[in-house]
Amino acid sequence: MKKITRRSFLKTTAKAAAVTIAAPVVLPEGWYGFASPAKTGYFESEFGITDSLCHKVLAQALARGGDYADLFFEHTISNYIMLEDGKVNRAYSDVALGVGIRTVKGDQVGYGFTQEMTEESMLNAAGIAATIANANATKPSSEFRWIVTKSYYPTDYNLVTAPLESKLPLVQSANEKCFSLSPLVSKVNATFHDQQKRILVVTSDGAKAEDLQPRNYIGVSVVAEKDGKREQSGWNFGGRRGFADYTQAAVDTVAKKAVAGAIVLFDAVQPPAGEMPVVLGSGITGVLLHEAIGHGMEADFNRKKQSTFATMIGKKVAEPFVTIVDDGTVPNLTGSINFDDEATPSQKTVLVEKGILKGYLHDKISAKYYKVKPTGNGRRQSYQHYVIPRMRNTYMEAGPATPEDVIKTAKNGIYVEDVSNGEVKIGEGDFAFYVSAGRMIENGKLTKPIKDINIMGNGPKMLANITMMGNDFAFFTGGGGACGKDGQAAPCSFGQPSCLVKSLTVGGRR
Amino acid sequence: MNKEMQELTAWTIKTAKSAGANDCKVGINSQRDVEISYREQKPETIKEATTKQLMIQIFVDGRYSSQTTSDLRKDALKDFIGNAVKMTKLLAEDPFRTLPDPKYYEGRKEMDLGSVDPTYKKFTPEERHNIVKTIESTILEKGGDKVVTTTASSQDGHSESVTMTSNGFLGYTEDTFFVAGAEMTVQDEGDRRPNGYEYCVALNRKDMPSPVKIGESCVKRTLSLLGAKKIKTETLPIIIENRGVGRVFGGFLQAMTGRSIQQKQSFLADKKGKKVGSEHFTIVDDPFVKTGLGSRLFDNDGFAAKKRVMIDKGVLKDFYVDWYYSRKLEWEPTTGGPSNLIVPPGKRSVEEIMKELGRGVLITGFIGGNSNPTTGDASVGIIGQLFEGGKPVQAISEMNISDNHLKLWNKLVEVANDPYPYSSLRFPSMVFEDIVVSGL
Repeated sequence: MKKITRRSFLKTTAKAAAVTIAAPVVLPEGWYGFASPAKTGYFESEFGITDSLCHKVLAQALARGGDYADLFFEHTISNYIMLEDGKVNRAYSDVALGVGIRTVKGDQVGYGFTQEMTEESMLNAAGIAATIANANATKPSSEFRWIVTKSYYPTDYNLVTAPLESKLPLVQSANEKCFSLSPLVSKVNATFHDQQKRILVVTSDGAKAEDLQPRNYIGVSVVAEKDGKREQSGWNFGGRRGFADYTQAAVDTVAKKAVAGAIVLFDAVQPPAGEMPVVLGSGITGVLLHEAIGHGMEADFNRKKQSTFATMIGKKVAEPFVTIVDDGTVPNLTGSINFDDEATPSQKTVLVEKGILKGYLHDKISAKYYKVKPTGNGRRQSYQHYVIPRMRNTYMEAGPATPEDVIKTAKNGIYVEDVSNGEVKIGEGDFAFYVSAGRMIENGKLTKPIKDINIMGNGPKMLANITMMGNDFAFFTGGGGACGKDGQAAPCSFGQPSCLVKSLTVGGRR
Repeated sequence: MNKEMQELTAWTIKTAKSAGANDCKVGINSQRDVEISYREQKPETIKEATTKQLMIQIFVDGRYSSQTTSDLRKDALKDFIGNAVKMTKLLAEDPFRTLPDPKYYEGRKEMDLGSVDPTYKKFTPEERHNIVKTIESTILEKGGDKVVTTTASSQDGHSESVTMTSNGFLGYTEDTFFVAGAEMTVQDEGDRRPNGYEYCVALNRKDMPSPVKIGESCVKRTLSLLGAKKIKTETLPIIIENRGVGRVFGGFLQAMTGRSIQQKQSFLADKKGKKVGSEHFTIVDDPFVKTGLGSRLFDNDGFAAKKRVMIDKGVLKDFYVDWYYSRKLEWEPTTGGPSNLIVPPGKRSVEEIMKELGRGVLITGFIGGNSNPTTGDASVGIIGQLFEGGKPVQAISEMNISDNHLKLWNKLVEVANDPYPYSSLRFPSMVFEDIVVSGL
């Protein structure tokens, strides 16, 4: 019930992680993964949502003089199947259907939503949204043009409607693989989740866009036992994918990572407490980038002057080898979108270019405030929520150094392999992230494993303290990741190469 | 009891059984929410809506699934239920998955938990706006030129739910709730802009603090963050403020569930009846607290609620074991999760305790962190004040504490006299000794 004001990165599995990609994703020019965008007309054929109805509802939303209004129709089907104690013995599914209606006046937002796709209900919700303004009525566009974009995920997605029998072997084989890998494995939980989110956005300035956003993942959690001790680890793989991506090899990799992750922890030690050099391994450690830098770049925090980055546009914030982007166009990644929830086409947005802060992540409200074009970051959890600027896939580009040289240069410190969650305080820039697995670095070499420690830092300071960048870029390719902001969860991803941060606070016990 | 909801619940059970379900449990929830926020002395957001959701658990041929939908049209529901039954039949048999033995439904207390504010329907839009405007104006007045921005907000709602099972359970709940608060950003040295907040929640408006008090508290908490810095790593006594204790205890609580124990993900699995903390560590689960945020007459399984001592003077007395995991563990079930958690308050205020301790850290907030339920290892970032001579002398940031729960709770040396009223976790502030506080 309480409004969540902290930013936090959440994962939906007990201890999810990612399958790392061995090399940077370099796409041939013009390749976008999938040939055609989603077919349009679903909401008209299924629920009778016509242009004339949309016009009528938008007119109601602007009846008291709003500057802009939009309608967000959603029909989402989500399925989960779960294996526990060797059996796929439970399944959950959810159907979400509704429309959210937003009226914007300056930077003020009125919002109403309804779960009934009837004209009466929609007009009532639009009337609530309209109350944010108090002037003479304004008029919406009388015609709507389809926004057609390239597609970054399968839009003929049918995994949700595929027979359950076709999905059961995924979790069954993950379970068998885990037990076959080590006699120390004593418990395995495996989950397969798939979701089909259909959306239609219609705006008072005459745009309409329809999409089918798939989301899916397989996640495995393992408990191992040795000499009376227990350790737990997990791994997952997913994104906005088709069923063909869930190969036996992909499932085996998830199982191997989960089992290896648990077994190594039997030898883990507690690192010393205090400031020390930290090497962030490639891939999933990008959660630090997401927390320490990404949230501070969301334009609403800057428009309201809450962010520590609010006065840094055009300034040097990092060494010249640091370039950070937020990109909604990476095929199959969890944070990819064809267009955002305001019908703005997705794009690659540069935040920091060669060490200079270039720009923020915008929705339409902040873009108008800053007099720039929206960047396609206006997102929302569902029809029950209004749009705010959100990250998509945020990553730091590769540098020149080998990972071995990065570790060698750190000399003594901590190497972070896997993290489970993080959080940031926007105004101060202070952040934390939880290291679920890593290694000590002693005399320039990786030594004893470490686990279960929090690492603290400050975003701007950390950016300035990145002294070395590896050439081993990898994306986080888990599908269970979601970012929390203002009580809304949004799927996102991230990535980075190995990098050396000169100094962070490690929360050890000695 | 809402007759319309009850009828739809009964219809859903009948429809599911006609479609082949052996048993089922159905819950329907309806909730109305109103939210308002103000920034720069004008409304920033206004949001209002009613949501409905239907949940059905299906038991067929020893198999189980659970479904939820917001599409409550009967035609759509009929298809939804039919498909759900068909899908359930494809899953593996699970002999432990049944509706609970009805004997656990019996003995439900009949009492008014005070969860509905009788004045709710008279709560006007003007009153809502006035609350938020007063919070904002108090912050702007008391915060002075330090204020960079502030957003004050209010949220309230009314919900009803009906739950019914095919083996005789029928439950109805009705609640109101009120939330009011604000977040505030102030200018510190350089580019630092500390952000603080204050939010209070209650089921009855009369239990809410005044808007002026909320605003004043937000200002006090935010200004206390100014000038924060990292201090050297040191072993110190710490005081965790009442509202923050629940975040640390959450890692312990996670290991108290039947699922964690049965899945070998609990460091407490073999600790029942054993010492897991100091003599000051006592926690009572009390579902019957009048107007309590976690109060209830029955739990998620439909079990009649009972007051339970979970931890008594450091000894673990009970676990949270729901019907399903009780069958897997072959244990007697208790209840699946906490209601209101009560820690008997101590005698001294935080100020008195700080005075006696002399030097230590008062933790007023956390950042990041996590806890491993399998091992009990935990680590979390902290925000607060270094105190010396019993007085706060330095705000701290970028610092951390780490420990294992089995060690941490044995370092609990005192609880204060200030149980936090705006949460189902009514914990007082707690004092721990010999904690490594990581910084420089």
